[in-house]
Amino acid sequence: MMYGGVDPSIADSNALELYFDSEIKALVLWGTDPSCSCPASGGGAVNDQRAKGVKTVVIDPPFTQDAAKADIWLPIRPGTDVALMMAWIRYIIEHRLYDAEFVLKWTNLPYLVDTETKLMPRAAVSSDPAVPDTFYVWDKRTDSMQPLAYPWDDALEGTFTVDGRVYKTGFTMLKEQVADFTPERAAEICWLDADRIVKAIRLFAENTPGGLAIGVATDQTPNSVQAAMGACTIDLLLGNVERPGALMQRFRTSGTFDMPNYPVPICADLLPDEQLRKRLGGNEHKGLGIWFAGHPSSILEAVLTGKPYPLRVWIDRSGNKLGAVADSKRWQKAMERLDLIVHMYMYPTSFSAYADILLPTEEWLETNMMVETCNTLCARQQVTHLWETVDETVIWSMLAKACADRGDEECRRAFDPEFMGKNLPYWSSEKEVFIHFLKRIDFDWEKLCWLTPYEYMPRRDWQTYYVYQWKDEKTGLAQGFNTPSKKLEIYLESMITLGRTGKPFSKCELPPASKDYEPLPYYLEPHESPVRDDEVSREFPLVLTSGRVPYYHHSTLRNIPFLREMYPAPEVWVNPRTAEGYGIETGDWVWVRSKRGEIRGIAVLTEGIGPGIVWMERFWNPETLNTKTHGWKEMNVNILTKADAPFNDVVGTYTLRAFQVQLEKADGAPEGVWLNPEDFKPWLPKPSGRTKEVFVK
Amino acid sequence: MSRYIFVIDADRCIGCKGCQVACKAENGIGPGENRNRVFDVGPTGVFPDLEMYFLPVMCQQCEEPACVAACPTKACRRNEADAVVMIDAETCIACRACERACPYGALTLNRERRVMDKCTICEQLRREGEKPACVKNCPGNALYCGDIDDPDSAVSQLLAQTRPEHIHKLRDTGSHPGNYYILRNAAWQDLLPRELAERRGGRRQV
Repeated sequence: MMYGGVDPSIADSNALELYFDSEIKALVLWGTDPSCSCPASGGGAVNDQRAKGVKTVVIDPPFTQDAAKADIWLPIRPGTDVALMMAWIRYIIEHRLYDAEFVLKWTNLPYLVDTETKLMPRAAVSSDPAVPDTFYVWDKRTDSMQPLAYPWDDALEGTFTVDGRVYKTGFTMLKEQVADFTPERAAEICWLDADRIVKAIRLFAENTPGGLAIGVATDQTPNSVQAAMGACTIDLLLGNVERPGALMQRFRTSGTFDMPNYPVPICADLLPDEQLRKRLGGNEHKGLGIWFAGHPSSILEAVLTGKPYPLRVWIDRSGNKLGAVADSKRWQKAMERLDLIVHMYMYPTSFSAYADILLPTEEWLETNMMVETCNTLCARQQVTHLWETVDETVIWSMLAKACADRGDEECRRAFDPEFMGKNLPYWSSEKEVFIHFLKRIDFDWEKLCWLTPYEYMPRRDWQTYYVYQWKDEKTGLAQGFNTPSKKLEIYLESMITLGRTGKPFSKCELPPASKDYEPLPYYLEPHESPVRDDEVSREFPLVLTSGRVPYYHHSTLRNIPFLREMYPAPEVWVNPRTAEGYGIETGDWVWVRSKRGEIRGIAVLTEGIGPGIVWMERFWNPETLNTKTHGWKEMNVNILTKADAPFNDVVGTYTLRAFQVQLEKADGAPEGVWLNPEDFKPWLPKPSGRTKEVFVK
Repeated sequence: MSRYIFVIDADRCIGCKGCQVACKAENGIGPGENRNRVFDVGPTGVFPDLEMYFLPVMCQQCEEPACVAACPTKACRRNEADAVVMIDAETCIACRACERACPYGALTLNRERRVMDKCTICEQLRREGEKPACVKNCPGNALYCGDIDDPDSAVSQLLAQTRPEHIHKLRDTGSHPGNYYILRNAAWQDLLPRELAERRGGRRQV
């Protein structure tokens, strides 16, 4: 929303400058560890950049592989990221490390904000999307509030009173928002050293171009959206956008997809307004509209209480929900209340144990998929097909067809080209989906297979810099950014509109959220926190965060012998000074308990985590799938995590990281879990020829 | 004569252990058996002032291999052509003498085939002009192999471009290991794999 381009996620392969010999000078990996989350892509790319002399700052509670290779490591207290970001912003402003000319010309920070409404008054409202509204600035020459036509401005800072109303520039609003966050204050909140914070800020700010990449860590606490805003603000203030060597870029695309690499047309415009308005949690957390998603905790409450309406059926297409959702024991209770549960996946997981119907899908080696990567399009091609499985793209269509045949009007219309309009009518094979997309570039699937990897554009043409400076043919002016003001909206006024109406994500107007969303980042101390002197922190004195190891991807791969033997059970990292009080040694099994439940893991005493903090890898145990635990109760971090309020205002994030736990030495491993390499032999692949195609009509 | 060895750029190893998996898949090595392993060396120091690097360990292609000396059937020997230490499956009796003799833990019992197993620098792939599985699959580009006697080989060139104080070998217990390690960005720790496994300061050392 602030930039109007893609976020520079390394794990999602969006930080495209990393893959070339570019002008990057410094990188900040903030709660992201590409060596773990994507070793083969981003991990290798960041490694290449380091080898070329690119400086790195890693901000992460555990001493990750990337932290070990960083110039500066800031082992932040889990959940306090926004406080540190605000200190970065304050320092960058105070020491004039920002790109002043760029901020003046290309961000909305010079525009005046009405301090009462928090909105930016308009001198003129535009109905043409190519032309932005006209905002006010403070004109120094006449010492008055003047409308300033896009695109140039000349005053950045100040507080002004006009007709009894107080106006401040966006810049001043930002400056005041971060005023309390000195390096010393951030050091105190984040359990860091103030000098080291300053060194890290300077290393990044004085070595532009570069980029700051966040991972899912900051997405997993109720302060999530503010962390994304803070991260983006730091990069934008430094002018790290669309320059060669910046991670935020709008390079060209092939034009094949509606959403990047999204394999199924989403037909969002066809969803009836009344459906959109009653989406659970969708009015309170309107940011969810960007993903067309509902709010997990609101869904959980609806199942448990029947309010605002009861839910009866759960069709799930994902791995192990019980290993992935917060406070999974409550979800088990919810599942018992449902009439029908369907699980669509490649192999059985804990969730399957509670399902009434299983719909086995093809494994990735059995499916075809189109992939766009940099300036190439690739066809990932099926190499085998075993047993009775169906491509999941087709299963959805089959379900719709079955409902249509039984008289469901909406499902019948999904197959009607006239009703579907520009969208693809429902399909009978995944090839139909590919043709729908590929015909946009005059391709078909066979041609793509033959030419893979197909360079759809030479790299020089694809790697487009300074897109905001391109002339708009209609206005004759620089086209700016894909935002309402065409400027980088560091003062994110549209947060207020989003909260009140659902725009720009919702196609219809939604009732306002209970509270306005904030246009600037703010810090939220974790609800369960070691610095709160309350009952929770007394009983559960340690703060837990989790994270990834390179061998697993999300909740998958625990059933692969060559991976599982390397990491058979989750490690619980504890600083030796903390462990002393619990009489725990490396290799001991320990109980990890939160207010919500208890699990076990293997203690590892290491200096790689700070005192008072526990790091643990999430887990589930496919080997106990057919026991009473169904594999999700032994070592699953999400037994401990927190699904109740507070939530992030904008997108409703609950607490998957940064909550309170206690440790106790355990007598041994949970019953029935596999730990020795030989234990995993039953999961070794058994050679098989191609099996008969089975396709149930 | 040529001498094939590995040169390992430890600064470039990101500790993902992809090489272990790639080796197993290529060479048919079962669970609990390893031709190569990656160890965490560290963290050393006291929080938050720490150092850590990652150490891939495979057969060190010793000049006087302890495994060859220990083998009672002469199944374990050095190739004449490229000096790579090999095990002849026909004459190996799987007595595990070589495994006990090797200071680097580089030999493993292949339970399926009932023979001792070790890194051959993927002889079968090299014959086809390909690189070993570990080298091909290393996301960090940390692994290099080639003929150290050929001054134009990639390994010789890499060493020639590296300052001598950054070039290391695993501790020599008398067998004169052939592989080289490059480490610039951390202090080299003189530790053998079994000592690292005992320390296990970080992740599980499997």
